This record gives sequence, C-alpha cells and structure tokens, in this order.
Amino acid sequence: MALPAGPLPTRGGVLPSTGAPARRVTGWRSRRGDLIGILVLIGFLALLPFAVSGFWVNVTVYALIYSIAAIGLTLLMGLAGQVSLGHAGFFAIGAYTQAVLVTKYETGSLVASVVAVALTMTAAVLVGLPLLRLRGHYFALATLGFGIIVSVAATESDFLGATSGIFGIEKPAFNGRTYDSAGEYLLLLAPVVVIGLLLARNVVQSRIGRALGAVNDSEVAAESLGVDAYRLRLQVLVLSAAYASVAGSAFAHWLAVVNPNSANFPLSVKFLLISVLGGLGTIWGAVVGALAVEGLDEGLSRLIPNIVPGASGEVELIGFGIALTVVVIFMPGGIHQAWLAVLALGRRLRRPARGDRPEAQRPGVPGKNRGEGAEPATSVAVEEPSLAREDGPAAGTVLLEVGGLTRRFGGVVAVDDLSFTVAAGEILALIGPNGAGKTTVFNMVSGALAPTAGTVTVSGRRVEGRKPHVFARARATRTFQNLQIFSSMTVLGNVMVGRHLRSSAGLLRGALVVPALAEEQAIESSARRLVELVGLGEDVDRLAADLPFGRQRLVEVARALASEPDLLLLDEPMAGLSGSERRELARLLQRLRAGGMGVVLVEHDIDAVLALADRVAVLDDGVLIALGTPKEIRNDPAVIAAYLGVEEDDEEATELTLTEPGAEG
Amino acid sequence: MTDFLQLTFAGVSVGAVYALIAIGFVAIFTVSEVINLAQGEFAALGGLVAISSVASGLPLVPALVVALVSVAIVSVLMERLVIAPVRRMTTLTSIVLTLGVSTALKAALLLFYGPNAEGLTAFSAGFIDIGGVTIRAHELWILGVAAVVCAAVYWFYEKTTTGKSLRACAEQPVAARLVGISLGRASLISFLVAGVTGAIAGVLASPVTFTAWDSGLTLGLKGFVAATLGGLVSMRGAILGGVVLGVLESLTAGYIDTGLRDAVAFLLLIVVLVLRPGGVFGRHAEARV
Amino acid sequence: MSRDLAVSGLCAGYERLEVLRGVDLAVGAGELVAVIGANGAGKTTLLRTLSGLIKPSAGEVRLGDERVAGVPAEKLAARGIAHVPENRLVFPTLSVQDNLALGAYARGRSGRADLVADRQRMFEMFPRLRDRVTQAAGTLSGGEQQMLAIARGLMARPSLLLLDEPSLGLAPKIVKEIFAALVRLRDDDNLSILLVEQNARAAFKIADRAYVMDRGRIAMEGRPTELLNDPRVHAAYLGGGYTADPTATAR
Repeated sequence: MALPAGPLPTRGGVLPSTGAPARRVTGWRSRRGDLIGILVLIGFLALLPFAVSGFWVNVTVYALIYSIAAIGLTLLMGLAGQVSLGHAGFFAIGAYTQAVLVTKYETGSLVASVVAVALTMTAAVLVGLPLLRLRGHYFALATLGFGIIVSVAATESDFLGATSGIFGIEKPAFNGRTYDSAGEYLLLLAPVVVIGLLLARNVVQSRIGRALGAVNDSEVAAESLGVDAYRLRLQVLVLSAAYASVAGSAFAHWLAVVNPNSANFPLSVKFLLISVLGGLGTIWGAVVGALAVEGLDEGLSRLIPNIVPGASGEVELIGFGIALTVVVIFMPGGIHQAWLAVLALGRRLRRPARGDRPEAQRPGVPGKNRGEGAEPATSVAVEEPSLAREDGPAAGTVLLEVGGLTRRFGGVVAVDDLSFTVAAGEILALIGPNGAGKTTVFNMVSGALAPTAGTVTVSGRRVEGRKPHVFARARATRTFQNLQIFSSMTVLGNVMVGRHLRSSAGLLRGALVVPALAEEQAIESSARRLVELVGLGEDVDRLAADLPFGRQRLVEVARALASEPDLLLLDEPMAGLSGSERRELARLLQRLRAGGMGVVLVEHDIDAVLALADRVAVLDDGVLIALGTPKEIRNDPAVIAAYLGVEEDDEEATELTLTEPGAEG
Repeated sequence: MTDFLQLTFAGVSVGAVYALIAIGFVAIFTVSEVINLAQGEFAALGGLVAISSVASGLPLVPALVVALVSVAIVSVLMERLVIAPVRRMTTLTSIVLTLGVSTALKAALLLFYGPNAEGLTAFSAGFIDIGGVTIRAHELWILGVAAVVCAAVYWFYEKTTTGKSLRACAEQPVAARLVGISLGRASLISFLVAGVTGAIAGVLASPVTFTAWDSGLTLGLKGFVAATLGGLVSMRGAILGGVVLGVLESLTAGYIDTGLRDAVAFLLLIVVLVLRPGGVFGRHAEARV
Repeated sequence: MSRDLAVSGLCAGYERLEVLRGVDLAVGAGELVAVIGANGAGKTTLLRTLSGLIKPSAGEVRLGDERVAGVPAEKLAARGIAHVPENRLVFPTLSVQDNLALGAYARGRSGRADLVADRQRMFEMFPRLRDRVTQAAGTLSGGEQQMLAIARGLMARPSLLLLDEPSLGLAPKIVKEIFAALVRLRDDDNLSILLVEQNARAAFKIADRAYVMDRGRIAMEGRPTELLNDPRVHAAYLGGGYTADPTATAR
C-alpha cells in the first residue's frame, strides 16, 4: 500500500522502479549501441534460414510479426506510461481490414496495409480521446473492454465472417515474386522491423520522447513546463495502434486466415508479456521479448508433453502467467535489466578502481564537435547582468492579477477572497503560518487546482481552472515545495525539458530526426548555457537525482528559467538549503528581478524574505491579513499574532494595537 | 409483461453473482489500491472444486465447504507470495501482477480440470411458477445466499473490530498504523474476504452458467464493471452495480441480440468511466506539491 | 505509568533530504514539554520518527529502559507511545465510538469493562464527544476532531503522548479547552507529553519546559517564562538574523 513517504514524491511509473540507471539515454554511446544492435539483428535474420531448420524460421516469423505490435506497445507503456490490456483489438482491426481489402476488394497488399493503418489510427483516436483522460488503471481496464468489444463485433459480424472469419488471404507478391516461404517472409518482415525500431528509437530520443519521459517522472512538473500530457499520450497511443495494425496486416498474410481469435484477450496478454519480459526500458525489449516468448512457447509445447503426458498445448499459459508475475516482482526491467546488470558487471571486472557511472555520458550532438559550446565549468556564477529574455514586458507591467480567489474543501474555506497583483521587476513574498493556505494559493494560480471562485489573470490571459500547461503558455512557471525533478534524467536533460515550449518539433519530425536536428542542437546549447549560468556547470551530465538536495533545487530553478517565463512562482525554494546555498539562490533571484521578471515566493525563511522581497503578503487561515513592505510587515501586530499565536485574553489587546500602526505586539 | 419480468428476474439473479464478485474487488482495492484481475479465477476455482468434489462422492454441502476453503487458501497464498513482496505497489503494477496470476491460474485449471464446461448440481432442482413467470428453484437460492452474504459482509465491516480496522486502513493508513493496525495483515484479510465471496459466487453460478477453466475472465470482468459503478470503494455501490449490470445484460440479450450480451458490460464500463465528471478518481487528485 | 523519553543524536529524513540533523531532547516522567519552531524546522519529522513512521538514520531513542528507535509504528503503539498526528486524521466514516475503540486496538483483547471505563473517562474529559458518540467522525468540527484524535490516542493507555500542532486551524477558545485537558492529563495522570506547536504563546502557558527547533536541530531550551520574552524566539519566527548558534546576537 502506498504509505505516505513524507514530503518527497514517490515515482509513479508503470512498473516498480528498477533502480537501474537512466531509462532515458541521450548519449552518443547509446546511438552507437543501437546501430550495432541493428546490424546484429540484420545479420541474424539474414543468416537464420541457413542456420536452423524451417521450423524455427517459422517461429521467428511469428516472433517478428508480434514484435512489430510490441514495439508500439512498449512505446505506449514505457514512454507514455499507459498500460493497454486490449492491444489485440488494434491488431485485429489491422488484420481484418487487410483481409477484407485483399480478398473482397482485390486491393494490393501495400495499399491495403496503408488503409488498415489509417483505419486503426482513427479507431485509436476515438478510443483515446475519452479514455486517456482517465487515471492510469482505468485506462488499462477500459482498453480491456475495448479489446473485448472488438472481439465481440468480429464474432457477430457476418461481413467479417463471424466465427470462421476471413480466409484465403494470399501471400504478398512484389515484382512478380511471391513471398510464401518462411525464409522469404522473413526477408519481407526484416526491413519492416528494422524501420519500426529506428522510428521508435528516434521518437524516444526526440523532443516528444523527452517530454513524455518527464511526464513519467513527474507529471505535475512536466505540465508546469508546458507539456500537454494528454495530447502527447494520445499521439503515442495512435502511433502504437499504427504499429499494431502493420503487425496485423503481416499476420493476415502469413496465416492466410483472420478470425476473432486475433482479437482475443489472451493475445493482448501475450503482447503485454512480450513488452514486459523484453523490458520496458528500451524498444529493443519488444524484439527480444517476442523472440523469447515465441521460443518459450515452442519450447514448452515440446517439453510439457514429455513431463506431463496428455497435457494439452495451452499449458504454456501457466508458464506465461508465472513468467509475467516473476518478472514484475523480481526483475521489473525484464531481460533489458538483466542485460544491463551483465554489462555493469563486465565494466566492473574490467576496471575495478574506477567509480564509473553508466550511460550518463557526455550527450553527443550528431555531426557536431563535442567540444563546441561547452564553457569551462564554474561553480560560482559569474556576475552577469540578468537572465531576461529580449522582448520581455517593461518593468511595472502587471504580470499576475489575482482577484477574489477562493477555495473550499467540503465545508472548510482554505482560501478566502484573496486579491493581489505582481508586476514585472518585483519580488512578492507570500508568508504565513502553517495551514494558512499558501500552497493552495500557489496551486490555484499555477493550474494544479481549480479555484471555487475568483480569477487568475496572467499577462492579460485568464487562466483560473485551466491546466498547468496553459499557465506555462502564458509565460509563467513554478517550482515545487517537494522537489519534482525528473529523476531519470541528467541535469542537462531536466533543463532541456524546460525548453519544451520554446521549441516545436512534433512526433513526425522527431521520428525522422533530420528535420528536427537544428532545433535539438539549439535546445541543447541553450540548456547548457543556462546550467552554467546558475552555477551547475560541473554537474551538467550527472543524473539529477544523484545531486545533493540544494543543487537539485537549482536544477528545478534552471529548468523553470529555460522556458523563458516572465512570471516565476517559487514554492519554498530555500527549504533544505544551507546558508551559503540560500545566499546564492537569493542572489540569483535578485538578478532575475533586475532582468524584469516577476517573482512570487512562498517562504518560511523570513530572513531571506525580508531581504529579498519588495512586498510581502501575509496569509493566515486563508485570509490576507497584511500586504506591505517587509519593514511594515515585520512590525505588524496582526502578523506577529498570527505567527506566535495569541490567547483568548490577548485577542482584545491585539485588536487595540491594530489601530495604532507601528506599536509593538 | 411476463417476458419483461422473466428477463428482469433472470437479470437480478445473475446480477447477484456479479455483486458478490464485485464485493471482492472493493474489499481489496479499498485496503491496498490493488485491482485484482484474478478475482474471476477465485469464482471459477470455487465452481470447479465443488464440481469435482461432488463427482468424487461428497455430498453437496461438504463439497461447498471444500470449495470455499480451497479458494481461501489460494487467495491467501496469492497475497503473501505475489502482493506482499512488492515494495512500491502502484495500481498499474497490481494490474499486471494479478493478470499474471490470473493467467497462471487459468492454465492450472485447464490442466487439472480439462477444457470442458461443467455444471454443479443445483441446490434445488426444478422450476417454480410465480404468476406466469418461470424461474429456476436454484435462482431463489442464488438470491437468498447472496443476500445473506451481503448482510454478513455488512456486519463484518460495520460491527466487527477487524472489519473496522480494515476500513481504518482504507481511510487513514497513517493513523491506522499509529493505533497499531498492521497494513500487511489488513491486506491479507481483504484477500481472504475476496476469496470467500468469489468462491461463493462461483458455486452459486455454476449450476446455471456452467463453469470452465476460462469462466473467470468474463465473470471477473463483469464483477469489475459492477464494482466500478460504486467507484471501486463502495460496497453498496458495487452490489447495486452488479444487479443493474445483470438486469441490463438480460434485457439486452432478450430484446436486442443475445450475442451482444457480453458487450454490454464493457460498453457500460466505458460510458461510466467517461461520464464520471472529475469525481472521486478525477482529473487531478489534488496534487500535494 | 509514565516513563521518560531520552533522545540523542537523532537523524532522519526522506530519501535525499536530511531533516533531523542530530536532535537531543528529553521528556521526564509526568512532564509536559513543548517543541516550537518555524515551519521546515523538522518538528513534524521529529514526531514521525519518534512514533515509528520514519526510520531514523542515526541516533537513539529510549523510552524508560527500552530502546525504541527504528521500531515500526504499528509495534510502537503497543509499547506505550501514542501519536496524535498533524491534521488529526480521524477515521471519517467510523463513528466517534468506533474511533475510540480502534484507539485501543494495540491493547489487544482487553476486558470489556476496561474499555467502557476508559471511554467514560474520555467523555468526562471531552464532553462534546459524548454528545456525538454515534456520529461519523468526518462530520465533526475541527475542534471536536482534535479532541477525538487525542482521546483516540489516550485509549491506548500510553506512557508518552505526542501531539502534532493540535491548535492548527482552531479558534482560541477551543484551543484553551484542549490545552486545559492536556494539563489535567499531566497533573492527574502523570502522563508524559511532548507537544509540538506553532502557537508558541499558548504552548508556553502550559509547558514545564520548551525546546526551540531550527533547521533540524534543537537551538534553544529552557523554561517557558525565560523563553517567552527572549527576543531570539521572536526572531526565530520573524527573522532578525537569528541562527542556530545561540551566541549570535539578534539584530
């Protein structure tokens, strides 16, 4: 059961955290690894028909077909963090469409598969639009329902052949050659698998992949940087459906028959097992998992009758069920996790003295000299005038206007009719005793919470009740009281996510890599610059989660700054920082103000507040009890009473002194 | 009109079975946020054990007891071996895990009991005619036993210390720990409750719907849909949901198309999930940041 | 039946964040000790570590002769530590009566008469609860929930009662009522009480001794009368250059 672990968040990934190093690998080394892998795969497939019996080539064909669908599912589960228990439904739509078009309308197999993909993607949009708004496990179960509905529809439809399905699908023929033997079909499938892998890998390492990785680590933080998680998940769902459709088309031709069994639940489970067994941490998991599962399937069906005479073929299911359970409990990263462990062992054996960190290497920019653009690391920020963006608003412009903001939880009024403004070039501090409602105010302003009443206007745009990425699009962002760094990424990776709104490459450009190349390089170099500016230069390639708390705080700030906001909300940024770290952060905030940014600060470190803030708003029990300069606030008896407490008999005394400004409380 | 009553009554009786399975989902989910996809297998196992016990000579009542005990043992083992060891259990993890167990159980059932569907002997044979509506005698047993079980579940959660401690875990796990309640033990008991109610559902349903190794799939999923109608946290909602689902299914099969029977549950699931506006499991569980 | 509490060098935190950096404190048998300090100082973490919700990374905690550091919360309840948590955390759909009954959960199978007698005592201490005995706890007002949470803690017959900001969100009148009850517990039952509070004035009025926490450590200690007028306490909340070093002069 999820026991409260204190103020820090527990990562809500799809599977229990593996403890394995960064899932998101952005280094050139991984690109080399991928390229090598692809060459190995091609070699393996090319040599296979000569090395093993026709039977095993047959098995490999099935494995490749399923792996195509599994690549899409791994993208959906590993990248978008959504479990689909009905992926066979998309697979079936592809298979049936292919079957119908080829047999009943005599369409060419290529054209038919394109139509099939289009149809399946449409279905995915229709399924995803309503369902992706649901919390994760509801989505999973709704997809289960979807899969069964497809199965029932196929069984009931006479057009689709009811229970017998559609048969007599011919093998595909190109340039006069029919690909009907297992070896030839392998030849046909191999490039499809390779291209599928390449596209998927490109997506993972693209801007969209990075954004989704961020959503997996901390959806709240990603949204606050402008990432529209819902929209991105929908895109990945549609993409994964396309993969399933291609697999379905390949299946239709290979089997020559398509019946409702191609949409059934056990097949969805098989896809799930393939992805999980192979490892959700890499798209290679889909291929490895498929080979493993099909191999296991065949091996078991040969083995079991020898051990348990008379047992029917479905007994492999026991193996699958146990495999799925065991993998999730003991090796949630699947075969990929085991592989990484082997690599780590190998590395340790080769270089025992070095304390090396895996994979979080210098991220390379393809085609660019790695030395370029990397300034010498300084741990103390050089005195630079400001961190402002060029056409920012003029000093004094009202950036944030909060009017009558109210929030009720059941019968309790947490925030009552709050109004204040924040202008460019000013720091406003929001203070108050515990339970005063400060974080609630923050959450309402930034879109994490909808107000019961009242308005929030950012640079003229009304944002109350809207999602956090709308707040971000209004050039405003925030940091979090309990750190929400992206723990699977390096410092650089974290800050690069911050550039999400200042870049635009979508799924297509990301998959093709080249059209987005220039933008990726720009993103990386501006992120590096920012990391230097806040003083994290020497940690730029370290895993953000490895940094001490104070520096993680700086990562959050740098990340927020990367989106070039005009308005910055900081929720207790000083918490957990040492004295010198607080001073550094305070200096940074002063530079931001000098550059024209508007800053709202929730803080308990009153020293910092009084030194930094231009104005201070004091909240007590949800009500604004004072708003003024730090000096005024410090001597305000109402404020003193709010903090240090007051007793019934003292109340009257305080009331009297309130009418005499400046009197000691 | 008699058709309508006939269908409704049949719907209520099958709905009672769904309700019992739904209780199991709620029992587990409230305590540990685990969605137990093997719930249906508890029912299938119950039915099959009862059938084979009777076939090997036991009278009905001892056979039922054997069935209940067997499933109870399996459910407890599942909790200890599969659920308890996972340190950070997310709901999605629980889905994949319990899916694995469900698959393994299905296969084991296939192995031990073969592929054919069998029916347990009805508790009372024959039919009864009430005002032109023909009902099976066994269906009265279904309603009766289900009602007793629901009352027992109510009594357990409202009147016994153990039941109240389970509710405490569900509502305030921190405070529950502080008064000395062990969350692990609570999880175990919740699985036991789910196992027992699931087994009862299985033996009740068997004479009417027949039990096979894969009966668990549809039974479990429909029970889940029923539980969803109660938001997965309300027993009352789950029971009501079960009955509503059963009746809707029956009316659809009778008036529209028998083949669409199974689709009703999932259409209902999607409709309910989509239309539930913000609500308990809504868009943003107020993120505590 | 109270025992004294001795804490030395206690360190604890969450994942990467060390909150308690070596806390030393003591609560004598039958003493009411207050812990005050600004937010983020670690007061709540301190109580959660003492009651077993968090495992300390270093340090020792002794209750009487028993070492209790690192014992998980569900076992500590039986060993005599009752923690009334921040935000009360009553069981909302359970009745007042049931909440109290569960408070005694750790006592195991006590005689019926025992529980009834204890419950009666709670009602004498907090008459408002008697009026609402069958009401669902979630429908009670904030003050009543706080009383219920305290009573629930007391049902375990603890040697040490930990209270986390009981005055939070309550009107001063109710706070007075509750604090008066705490005083009675100390005087009549000789119960050891560790009271974490933000409302320093109210806490000082009833405490025998007080600690001031700052950034994970104990910064000051003394009798409330001494601390009440000490400008450094004022500064700890409202700034003024105060640091954890007691020799630093206030601005």
